[in-house]
Amino acid sequence: MRNRLKVLRAERDWSQQDLAERLEVSRQSVNAIETGKYDPSLPLAFRIADLFGMPIEEIFQRD
Amino acid sequence: MSAEVAARRSSVFWVALFLIGMFGTGIGARVAGLSGVWTMIVMLPPMLLLIPMIRSVERSSAAQGCASPALQRYNRRALTWSFAYVAMLFLAITVNDRLHPQGPLLWAIAILPALPILYMVWSFHRYLVEETDEYLKMRNIGNALVGMGVVLAVATVWGFLESFGVVPHAPGWLVVPLWGFGLGAAQIWRMVRGA
Repeated sequence: MRNRLKVLRAERDWSQQDLAERLEVSRQSVNAIETGKYDPSLPLAFRIADLFGMPIEEIFQRD
Repeated sequence: MSAEVAARRSSVFWVALFLIGMFGTGIGARVAGLSGVWTMIVMLPPMLLLIPMIRSVERSSAAQGCASPALQRYNRRALTWSFAYVAMLFLAITVNDRLHPQGPLLWAIAILPALPILYMVWSFHRYLVEETDEYLKMRNIGNALVGMGVVLAVATVWGFLESFGVVPHAPGWLVVPLWGFGLGAAQIWRMVRGA
């Protein structure tokens, strides 16, 4: 699965740590999701979508 | 040098010092022919290295962005069971050497060192229940599974070799350090691969 997390984060000038604190996860988690090493669960994907105010499918796409 | 690299080097230093201290003292005690009680006494100082080791590992985890409150609680519990294990083993060996108990007291003494290990098993379960970071939880479950795989593989192969009289008997409690070895190796492998 691909995602636009890095781009969306950069648009807001947030560091990985900033995003991790907003999502209440570790910085490693944000890094793993951004680099495609880990696909988040649906609840976390919804939290990410809510944080950016976008539908999930605009952030996460199929390969 | 970044704070992350410095913290990682510090944790590697303390882990190495702890392992060298434990194995070095253990081998030294055996060479010197110390009794069970004296071996326990000389093992205490290197055992205390666990405290700075766990703290340095926590600092390294925080610098790498993979620390969590649940992991910190697990580390505190690890300190508790480690020292409780040494204390219980010391007590059991001392009572056994001095009083030569029989019957139910011998059973109680023999089971004493196992109690902190049962607490360790419970504390790992608590960690998995308390961990809210799903990625860290997945990683640590994976590490524990590698540990379990090592235990199953080594115990099975050794067990058959023992049944055919090729190797000597190995005590069952060795499965715990073996599991810890597998878990630690998986953690180091992830660290090296940057996964």
